[in-house]
Amino acid sequence: MDDRSFVAGQAFILAAKNYWTREIYPALEADYRDRAAVQDAPVEVPDQVAALIGDTTLYRYYGWLERHLQRFKYSGRYGLQPYHDERREALRQRLPADLPAGLLELDPELKIPDSFTAFDIHQHPGGVWSDEIAGFVYERGARTTTPLAGQTHRDLHQRLADCIAEDGIPDRVLDMGCGFGKSTRPFWETFRDAEIHAVDISAPCLEVAAMDAADVQARNVRYRQMSAAATDYPDADFDLVTSTMLIHEMPPSEIEAVLDEAQRVLAPGGRMVHLDFLPADDAFSRFIHFGHARRNNEPYMEPLARTDLPTLLRDRGFIDIEIEPFEEAEGSLDSAYPNWRFPWVTITARRGD
Amino acid sequence: MSEQQAEQTFFEDEALDRAFGVVMALASEVYVLKDRVHALEQLLTESGVIAEGALDAEPDAAEIAERGADREAFVAHLMQNLLGTQMSRGAR
Repeated sequence: MDDRSFVAGQAFILAAKNYWTREIYPALEADYRDRAAVQDAPVEVPDQVAALIGDTTLYRYYGWLERHLQRFKYSGRYGLQPYHDERREALRQRLPADLPAGLLELDPELKIPDSFTAFDIHQHPGGVWSDEIAGFVYERGARTTTPLAGQTHRDLHQRLADCIAEDGIPDRVLDMGCGFGKSTRPFWETFRDAEIHAVDISAPCLEVAAMDAADVQARNVRYRQMSAAATDYPDADFDLVTSTMLIHEMPPSEIEAVLDEAQRVLAPGGRMVHLDFLPADDAFSRFIHFGHARRNNEPYMEPLARTDLPTLLRDRGFIDIEIEPFEEAEGSLDSAYPNWRFPWVTITARRGD
Repeated sequence: MSEQQAEQTFFEDEALDRAFGVVMALASEVYVLKDRVHALEQLLTESGVIAEGALDAEPDAAEIAERGADREAFVAHLMQNLLGTQMSRGAR
């Protein structure tokens, strides 16, 4: 596949996703609101939403497009996987053989949990961990994960770093589940004097993260292959523990283990900030989010939405617990914002003394 | 890698799920071709082979007629499917 055809094919898929986001989703929501308005009782749970619109032609196309445009994006004729497959050797050579000492530490013995290997997350063939070029595929694909953000997706991560900076610049940061380093980069770029540690279970993603950091001679970051639920850091080692889009990829038991680990490695009074997805407490938002989870191969999104996080956090001695909507792009939290979006939230807390 | 699983379905008749996939695959191919034709025209213009807009003008009657047979054949092939009749003699 030539580069031009790949770019055109992906641009077509993105344009179709954008249409779905800006036209089909608002039409679906309007149809739902019309139907809900004439019900005798308020619609309270996702199953009632399903009863109202689940069989409509519009919802069927909505679901089909959400499922299959993502399939096209990864596995279609102009998909990310075949494109990168054809360039496997060149990609392998892009990985620098001699990275600065300590920038990247891999652990070939690390066991990837069955909960993560049992399915291909995001419809990415082989997931984000099994193929040596998975990091490149994921990085390219993530540029259009939130269709309207497109190339400026980094803004989202920068916004999180900026929010954190408002409450003070940390000295030692642990970024859990850092993937290919997109969430980590604003930390090492913004907090120049801080030492940033970033862990993930995917070696192919960490390699891309380290390559990215080496390209600009970043000096204050280390990428290490380990589970966020079982790191080798000493107790009370960090004043900020963070993650971005991590916990929705974990079953409840692993989330609890991650919270335990965050509590352990945080210094007393240290901050924990997770940026993730929790649908608003209305039936339509939950119906849409749970449907997205099914169609995008993300089976732990729904359990997360049903988890009582404040209680889990309180039980572990966290204080100042706040779960707040996060404005990932200008105006996205306005009540009149019409387009589909991820239900971004920040889950923040401090370790008690 | 796990064994092959049945794809999710969204329509009452699964045939529509599959056929719409064919439609969207063709649509993406059309767009890729359109992009390539545009690039080709631009290159030809830039290298002076054709004048800018040379392909945009309405074809004259002779050219329309000359393309007629091909057009008819294309349309017939496309729409014959809607008749639902056999093109060869089937065994009864």
